[in-house]
Amino acid sequence: MNMFRKTKPAADAAQTPAVPAASETLASKSTYDPNDKSAPVLEVKDLRVSFASEAGTVRAVRGMNFQLHRGETLGIIGESGSGKSVTSMSIMGLLDSNAKVEGSITYHGEELLTKTDAEMSKIRGKGIAMVFQDPLSALTPVFSIGEQMAEALTIHNPKMSAEDVRKRSIELLTLVGIPNAEERLKSYPHQFSGGMRQRVVIAMAIANDPDVIIADEPTTALDVTIQAQVLDVLKKAQQETGAALIFITHDLGVIAGIADEIIIMYAGRPVEKGSVDDIFYRPVMPYTMGLLGAVPRPDKSKSSRLVPIPGSPTNLVNLPKGCPFAPRCPMAEDKCRTAEPDLLPVVGRDGQVAACYRSGEIVAKNLTFRDVYQVGEGIKSKFDGVPREDRAVVLDVKDLKKTFPLTSGGFLRRKIGVVKAVDDVTLDVREGETVALVGESGSGKSTTLLEIMDLKKPESGSITLFGQKVGEKMSRQTKRDLHSHVQYVFQDPMSSLDPRLPVYDILAEPLKVLHKSKAEINTRIDELMKLVELNPDQVDRFPTQFSGGQRQRIAIARALAVNPQLILLDEPVSALDVSIQAGVINLLEDLQNKLGVAYLFVAHNLSVIRHISSRVAVMYLGRIVELGPTDDIFDHPLHPYTEALLSAMPAPDPQYERTHNRIVLQGELPSPTEKIEGCPFASRCPLRLTLSEEQRRMCDTQPPKLHQWSGEDRQVACHFAAMA
Amino acid sequence: MLKYIVKRIVNYVVMLFVAVSMTYFLASAFMDPRSNYMDRHPHPPIASINHSLDLANINDQTPILVRYFRWLKAIFTRWDWGLAPDQSPVGPAIASRIWTSVELVTLATIIGIVAGVSIGVYTAIRQYKWQDRTLNIIATFFLVIPPAVLGLFVVLIAIAINNGVGTRIFYVTGLSSYQGSNPFLWLLDFLQHIILPTIVMAIPGTVSYHLTQRTYLLDSMNSDYVRTARAKGLTLNQAIRKHALRTSLIPTTVNIAFSITGVFTGAVITETVFAVNGLGRYFVTAINGNDINGSVCIAAFGGVCTLTGALLADILAAWLDPRIRLS
Repeated sequence: MNMFRKTKPAADAAQTPAVPAASETLASKSTYDPNDKSAPVLEVKDLRVSFASEAGTVRAVRGMNFQLHRGETLGIIGESGSGKSVTSMSIMGLLDSNAKVEGSITYHGEELLTKTDAEMSKIRGKGIAMVFQDPLSALTPVFSIGEQMAEALTIHNPKMSAEDVRKRSIELLTLVGIPNAEERLKSYPHQFSGGMRQRVVIAMAIANDPDVIIADEPTTALDVTIQAQVLDVLKKAQQETGAALIFITHDLGVIAGIADEIIIMYAGRPVEKGSVDDIFYRPVMPYTMGLLGAVPRPDKSKSSRLVPIPGSPTNLVNLPKGCPFAPRCPMAEDKCRTAEPDLLPVVGRDGQVAACYRSGEIVAKNLTFRDVYQVGEGIKSKFDGVPREDRAVVLDVKDLKKTFPLTSGGFLRRKIGVVKAVDDVTLDVREGETVALVGESGSGKSTTLLEIMDLKKPESGSITLFGQKVGEKMSRQTKRDLHSHVQYVFQDPMSSLDPRLPVYDILAEPLKVLHKSKAEINTRIDELMKLVELNPDQVDRFPTQFSGGQRQRIAIARALAVNPQLILLDEPVSALDVSIQAGVINLLEDLQNKLGVAYLFVAHNLSVIRHISSRVAVMYLGRIVELGPTDDIFDHPLHPYTEALLSAMPAPDPQYERTHNRIVLQGELPSPTEKIEGCPFASRCPLRLTLSEEQRRMCDTQPPKLHQWSGEDRQVACHFAAMA
Repeated sequence: MLKYIVKRIVNYVVMLFVAVSMTYFLASAFMDPRSNYMDRHPHPPIASINHSLDLANINDQTPILVRYFRWLKAIFTRWDWGLAPDQSPVGPAIASRIWTSVELVTLATIIGIVAGVSIGVYTAIRQYKWQDRTLNIIATFFLVIPPAVLGLFVVLIAIAINNGVGTRIFYVTGLSSYQGSNPFLWLLDFLQHIILPTIVMAIPGTVSYHLTQRTYLLDSMNSDYVRTARAKGLTLNQAIRKHALRTSLIPTTVNIAFSITGVFTGAVITETVFAVNGLGRYFVTAINGNDINGSVCIAAFGGVCTLTGALLADILAAWLDPRIRLS
């Protein structure tokens, strides 16, 4: 009954000697027995993928190996360009035609790499299914959900009757938690939110009970509370089908809670592999250590500086001789720079393998992240020891409101409603501190920043900057002065810097607005480049010649050029890789301590916020629901939304993730156009469910005001915060 | 949907009225039919000139508003679009040429669309393969040839074939010459006339639809949802046919709908080369002859075509794209 063996994995014999040690642990089974329950469903051996590009051959994957059994979850972690997505796409056979794929991928003993597109299409969606990153673009906009579900079923079961297809579609959509599945079949993708679309994609992926589900960054584009829901759905889908799951991500927190085994990839190669506990608690490869050390923790108070991995990710076209991580590795020695280390079993560890010459030494001496990396000392703050009350207020926002009119699509564009983007926001920022605005997308964080930056009289409420009330009757001079005190840093450094201006001109622009002399500008630019730890000689280069992290440094330097006292930062690190992110966060901290500048920081990443901010304001649907010192809020959240948000945030700690009881919020963020009588959070509130009939009525009819919390320096907008 | 269409039509009628009135005022301001008479040597008596101009309601000595309301009244009460300076009625002259233009351009337009979109799809699927490169080179070649040159070139080849064979297979002027009553012979005669102008007009259409459709399809072929479709188990060709093609047809339908006007009035060169009396040539003659009423009437017809095209584009786009249909 060897029905699966159509092609003999002939590559085995030839490939094994190439990776002698890896084969012992990873590729020990060379024959496949379908009756053997312990046989792997998927086996990847010495996978190598390269692309031809104008700059030369890009070697995207260089020797990937793993085995996957039913029910197992394999996590693949790596930064952008590490080859994790290319690996998944080569398993699916969905790579571009200019990709050169070598090695072997066997599914139930069948070689996949030699198959044609038509043969592969019989396996795709039936044996191996995939969930993609961006749910907003993953569904065809012109077909209804029902049609797309039906397609997934009928393509592999052409004889299925229309009625069966319908029943099965409803069953699948219900399984992934889509309410009113029967009616929703007629809906089109644009009528679903991102989280709901991802559920549909998962439903399609499990439609034919696949043996392997590949999830490529399935929650990266989603909000934290929705991410928690989708992760639950994915786990449930895996249990229902008993499939093996390959979970690809850059987020160490997400992977800690879901994976059994983890492969860390760097520059197209697996550099370490082991059980989730070994990787998180006993990493051997310095890169793994660096990754873990570079992420701030959401569940622990800020203890010390983050440790960035020096340098920037390797260029895959001109790989250095030797270990590709050597140029960034603090432990690199001459040997590392001459020959690339093989992936070898780590002595004394069961099943853990690492590609590092010094792994023996690391294990023997029990070296940890703190020993390997230099943990830098932070600069002492200018305002150290000055209590908050004694610091000057730089920004004072009172009852700020911003609405957008909602117009009909017709010729006359009649106003048919309003979107309350920002609703009664009150907060203050004092010198030398970081206040963070946190919330899901659509909660009004960025709009608040833009309203402040606008320097115009707000629709309602007031904005006071450095004691100057922002209104319509400001002279040009006052406006210009205010602009030099408040600056803005955007999320995406690629699009916020003009690609056709050299760095010098980018930095000189704000100074020219202030009519500085040429000599002044030159000295200032030199200072700025040093301040953000870039080489001042590189000012004649263009933004594209810098890496993402360096570009964000340039954006920060541009903001600093005019010596502002307040910088508004809109998700400044979310577009950066983990190892780079830490460096930028450290830089922001140092600059604040050195210059005493205040930050109003918008982010959706709670770990970053916990690390960098001293005060935090949690926003929901345009309102602040809780405000107070960061540690107090993270340790003892008062508002049920804050509690749910914090609980949904995954931590890079498998033990914590296993024992942690996550509050998964039901439902979605209500549309901002909806008119809500009472508390905007009432529709999703877990606390409300525990309340009496009378108390619930209060939630539904009276909007709670942000009020002082029993004498403490905290404010909360909930009628029943004490009961949480 | 019906309410939406009715609302649109009402909007368009208002817009058309305003546009045509503006054209009337503009044409009256710029065109000088009096000069048609004054240029003659010796020119006719002034009184007789005024009389002729008054008959056609284009006398510049009559206040413009008076002329405008007379003109409007004639259209609304008698569907009379006025007279040309030579006293021939404008309406019937245009009506007969509309039919000629329809005969001339319909076939060419349909061939252009069908061939262009098919070649576009064919080349997009084979991007950078030899078929794609060859067809691209051919398309670029025809793109840069002016229509007049292409027309004359086709005529020369046709004449050479006629001479070579010894009988007249292709007619190079007019749209018909058969006088009898046999419908089959009439059709044969019509085809012999229409084939050459059709070729000349279909080629630029084919080329432009080929190049745009190729781009549109390439855009949607690389989109995430095509990848999702393949991940479900569709082969590459199935995924493109079912998922990419439909979305890529949305911009093409809009293009087609809006090209209707150009089709009627833009065939001047082809009409001239093949000596066909169509709308395009009429339009040019009307402008040259200071024919105010004729020009305005053509503009009104062009406006109706454009707005019909716009309405058609809206309906087709809504039919293809649920995002428009449902909002």
